[in-house]
Amino acid sequence: MTTSRGSKAVVQTTEAITGTQPVRRRARLRGWERAVGPVSLLAGAIAWEAIGQALDVSVFPPLSAVLGRLGELLADGTILGYLATSVTNLAIGFAVALVFGLTLGVLMGVYRRVEMALDIYVRAMLTAPSLVFAPIFFTLFGLDRITIVGVIVLYSTFIIVLNTAEAVKTAPRSLVEMARCYGAGDRFVLRRVILPSATPLIMAGVRLGAGRAVKGMINGEMFVAVVGLGGVVMTAGRNFDAETVLAVMTLIIVLAFMVVWLVERLDRRLTAWLPETNRA
Amino acid sequence: MIEIKGLNKYFPGRGRSEPVQALRDVDLTIRDNEFLTILGPSGCGKTTLLRNIAGLVPWDTGEILVDSQPVRGPSPERAMVFQNFALLPWSTVLANVAIGLEIRGEPRGPREAKARELIERVGLSGFEDRLPGELSGGMQQRVGLARALAVDPSVLLMDEPFGALDEQTRRLLQEELLRIWEQTPKTVVFITHSMEEAVLLGDRIVLMSARPGQVDDIIEVPLARPRSQHINELGESPEFASITTHLWTRLRSMQVLNT
Ligand SMILES: Nc1ncnc2c1ncn2[C@@H]1O[C@H](COP(=O)(O)OP(=O)(O)OP(=O)(O)O)[C@@H](O)[C@H]1O
Ligand SMILES: [Mg+2]
Repeated sequence: MTTSRGSKAVVQTTEAITGTQPVRRRARLRGWERAVGPVSLLAGAIAWEAIGQALDVSVFPPLSAVLGRLGELLADGTILGYLATSVTNLAIGFAVALVFGLTLGVLMGVYRRVEMALDIYVRAMLTAPSLVFAPIFFTLFGLDRITIVGVIVLYSTFIIVLNTAEAVKTAPRSLVEMARCYGAGDRFVLRRVILPSATPLIMAGVRLGAGRAVKGMINGEMFVAVVGLGGVVMTAGRNFDAETVLAVMTLIIVLAFMVVWLVERLDRRLTAWLPETNRA
Repeated sequence: MIEIKGLNKYFPGRGRSEPVQALRDVDLTIRDNEFLTILGPSGCGKTTLLRNIAGLVPWDTGEILVDSQPVRGPSPERAMVFQNFALLPWSTVLANVAIGLEIRGEPRGPREAKARELIERVGLSGFEDRLPGELSGGMQQRVGLARALAVDPSVLLMDEPFGALDEQTRRLLQEELLRIWEQTPKTVVFITHSMEEAVLLGDRIVLMSARPGQVDDIIEVPLARPRSQHINELGESPEFASITTHLWTRLRSMQVLNT
């Protein structure tokens, strides 16, 4: 238990570090390189199916059985209600995390004193395993939606804060000086220079925050409240129903990809001015 | 008229080291509508002096008066053109040129009309909706020039504006700047590393010496105006040759040329 928590903390910190460098140069893909991803996915699927068939044990069902189960769950509609609960929790939690994260991050980036006061807490909360706070929420709010939303907020907010603060701090001084030279005040500089220049880094943080929000949702639902998709996984797990566990996991992963994909689309819209070669 | 009197500027040293004196007792009077070029070795405080005149950074002792008014901060009367262009990469050429007017609070209609006019003057018509990243260096600095001219300043402060450009582009922009200045005279303070550029553009050349930066010499340039049409012939003339020789002798005698 302790070791897994420890290693998780390390992962979170590296996430924070790489998250602050979205502007990485990358060569244009060659034709055959585009095929690498899909081919790898196909190979994984075949391997899963083959190993599942060969082992023939209930704890590791082949892909076809898992997809079949997923089809059933979707067809009879049982899963859809849970899915709706989870997605709603996720949407509320991530929205709150965005508002808090961006506001706090901008304040910390602009005002050195705010940063000096809060930086240690933000880093502590980022490294701390957010799930340990869940029982507190549970005691306070019980099986209420607030508990899950609170967990999601805790998972997602701080990476956004850290990236936003860093992004705001690293706005190019020459552009700020240019605006000042033409008589700009603080608000103009923030709105027209600092925030636009910070957008790529901020969006990198938002992307990480989105991924962590999904993680928070599942962990919260599985270990605290046993509701939504996480609840389904938990119940199926207790009944040693590996097919259902893996089927729902697949669905959750697809959900996570969709959330990240949406954020990436938003990112591309907001940072359309970045040259293509400067994208991560 | 810009009067600089007894200007001293220090930068705090790193850690416990002594403060660095960037400017020492700089006295300089810049006439109205004069084209003044400033030449000097790297690190002699040219940029610092220009930023002082712009009102962007404070100095320690001395004063700077513009039309007898002390400089207390930036003013749209003194517009700056930057060596690295300093264009907003997320804004179009039009929005970049209009930014000074936007800061001033002019409504969109008039400020865009004014910006279009200046885009045409610097020869960038048709590029209004492009982003800076899509333009060549020379075109980007045309945008920088148009942005400065858009606020109708009486003083243009230019910090090695053509330093990052190749030889031909630089020559084209020199001609263009002279043409614009001949049509609408204004005071220009133009910093350069190039002796040739200092002579071809300037009415007077301020030669600065390094560490700490001070005015070493002020040289009148006897080349006739207007010059925009025949920069090339001027570059071949005996007057040009004798001034550059003189400048070179002085610069070499400072023995602080960066190699
Ligand atoms: N922000 C700063 N902090 C500390 N020292 C500085 C700062 N800006 C400039 N200096 C120092 O002041 C001196 C003058 O710098 P300045 O940039 O004005 O020189 P310059 O003549 O413009 O040089 P260049 O030709 O290379 O542009 C240099 O020694 C430089 O190291
Ligand atoms: Mg300089």
